[in-house]
Amino acid sequence: MKILIKQSKIIDPTSSFNGRTADILIVNGIIQSIGKSLAQKGAKVLDAKGLHVSPGWTDMFADFADPGFEYRETLASGARAAAAGGFTDVCIVPNTKPAIDQKSSVEYIRAKAAQLPVSIHPLGAVTRNAEGKELAEIYDMRQSGAIAFTDGKNAIQSSDIMVKALQYIKPFNGVLIQLPDNKDIQPHGLMNEGITSTQLGLQAKPAIAEELLITRDLKLAAYADSRLHLTGITTAASLKLVKEARQKKTDVTVSVTPAHLFFTEEDLQTYDTNLKLNPPLRTTGDRKALQKGILDGSIDCIATHHIPCDTDHKMVEFEYAQNGMIGLQTAYAVLNTVLPEVPQERWVELLSINPREILGLPVPSIEEGNTASLTVFSPQQQWELSVGAILSRSKNSAFSGKPLTGKPLGIIHNNQTNLSI
Amino acid sequence: MKLSTKHLLGIKDLTKEDISLFLDTAAQFKEVLQRPVKKVPSLRDITIVNLFYENSTRTRISFELAEKRLSADTINFTASGSSVSKGETLLDTVNNILSMKVDMVVMRHSATGAPHFLARHIPAAIVNAGDGINEHPTQGLLDAFSIREKIGTLNGTKVAIIGDIMHSRVAMSNMYLLTKMGAKVTVCGPPTLVPKYIEEAFGVSVNYNLQETLNWCDVANVLRIQLERQNQVLFSSLREYNLSYGISRKLLEGLKKDIVIMHPGPINRGVELDSDVADSGQSIILQQVENGVAVRMAVLYLLSNKNQ
Repeated sequence: MKILIKQSKIIDPTSSFNGRTADILIVNGIIQSIGKSLAQKGAKVLDAKGLHVSPGWTDMFADFADPGFEYRETLASGARAAAAGGFTDVCIVPNTKPAIDQKSSVEYIRAKAAQLPVSIHPLGAVTRNAEGKELAEIYDMRQSGAIAFTDGKNAIQSSDIMVKALQYIKPFNGVLIQLPDNKDIQPHGLMNEGITSTQLGLQAKPAIAEELLITRDLKLAAYADSRLHLTGITTAASLKLVKEARQKKTDVTVSVTPAHLFFTEEDLQTYDTNLKLNPPLRTTGDRKALQKGILDGSIDCIATHHIPCDTDHKMVEFEYAQNGMIGLQTAYAVLNTVLPEVPQERWVELLSINPREILGLPVPSIEEGNTASLTVFSPQQQWELSVGAILSRSKNSAFSGKPLTGKPLGIIHNNQTNLSI
Repeated sequence: MKLSTKHLLGIKDLTKEDISLFLDTAAQFKEVLQRPVKKVPSLRDITIVNLFYENSTRTRISFELAEKRLSADTINFTASGSSVSKGETLLDTVNNILSMKVDMVVMRHSATGAPHFLARHIPAAIVNAGDGINEHPTQGLLDAFSIREKIGTLNGTKVAIIGDIMHSRVAMSNMYLLTKMGAKVTVCGPPTLVPKYIEEAFGVSVNYNLQETLNWCDVANVLRIQLERQNQVLFSSLREYNLSYGISRKLLEGLKKDIVIMHPGPINRGVELDSDVADSGQSIILQQVENGVAVRMAVLYLLSNKNQ
């Protein structure tokens, strides 16, 4: 298959063509040439004037709910949403049924995902059934292709398990992904504790639930001299803790979610269950600190925390609603809308280069001879995500119907194109 | 005068004028209730469903009586809890109510925001009869009515709310209402039962010392300690609660002035209130119950739009 992308702007800090507007010729999944004006007989020509291309975006934390909860999402539906959102690679959490906690589960995912338009990387569970009690067969899963390890939506509570897991992954220079949430403190909290929760009469969870676990995990990572990735941090104090630990040379990286850069706890005034998240939406001050972290480089990457929930678990009383929001299709648009001052190159670092470096995945730099794994996007296009256009099985997005600026137009990956141009 | 709202979901959404209208209308209905014939035809042809997802005796009876005094047609729906895992969902209930074409829904639910959910999905007027730990607006109104009746005004009146503030929808509705109407409010209880952000959230004061609080206030609204919360680590024992935050005759006698004692009921005698306080002349607990009917008549009447 031959594809000729005409006149797109290359956004790739790892490429010598970075910032240049050029034609890209792809033959059988390989970038054959990049030049001012290329022509090729028989090639499918894509007019990409005004559009940008970058190395494929990579999400480090999504729930595809397959196997076990296929009514929420499947590998196929999740992959379609990811491709539409510009993601070529997605790491999926092990909170399936059965959990991805052994070789056979990892192999199931890899086999089932082999033909899908995006590369799906299973995250192996740190503990059996992701319950936080006994270590799972991490080496075996690693051998079968688990890219990193986490208990996903279940933060590891036991300090003993946590430190042992951090030590255990060292032989293969693994990374442990933790969603920081101390479940001892106000386990029934439904939103961030603060003035808003007090006025809304909702049981709340204080920010220290997140910060305490981060404090502990940073100490454990330093003790174990291992690699820790904190996914979806939400408070100003959390980011401060991470910066302080880095000064002491702790090997820690962090991500934030688009939702936490966009919404705050005050958006819960109408008890919108699509905004019921864990970790919860925080204060305006916290959001500001996270936005600053995007600009100053202290945040390493974006994680969508794409968590599909079906209507039966969202069209209910706030208290009974499940936590989570889908996010793959809107991730880039939300980021670009909420922080228009951020250069596109920085988004590409946060969405592509940095997560790949953390995971040890090669960066498919846009250079001649390299594999074509590309995201095509428009930073200017204005659009809204209609419920009908949601490709996930679940429609739990608080972004649908919101005007957004910047749109992913799809991907070229694994010698397949998934583009809406 | 017209209300600014179609529903009564909480005092939070009401204006000062709404509150005054409710209270003034309640005063008229209270007068009706003193007559030999206590029934008025105001809500004839209006169908009201009392939807109680949580146990309630006095609130349900009070609403039923108010509805009957107004000549409304009423149906009762009692369910024990609602969730996806336990039987019918709230959305299914909503659709059932829609099919029954009722005009008003009085709803008590254990989950915060449940009446707001209902209000988004059905055209009937919704009266919140208590949602989770959020609000109990008719209790707030009847407490305010009772204070106004006893003291003469809400503006400038010093009201102490004592006990489990954290889990009390009565406290929430009282704080919203009293601060809107110019009363001064202090909440008092063990720190584990007082929300951390309450001062900023409501513009009230916090005092953990019961005696100081009682010496300051004109009215003490004493909340019920919910015995089912005993398994949480909120206080050590009922005995210790009574010793440190229970109101005794001796404590009242040591105060500089006679204060008014209120309680939303049902009372745990010997826990938050000693019997010789609950039954004393300073207590207006039974007047609160009586006023509850008049206030609920006013709420139902005004929300029915029959006054136009």
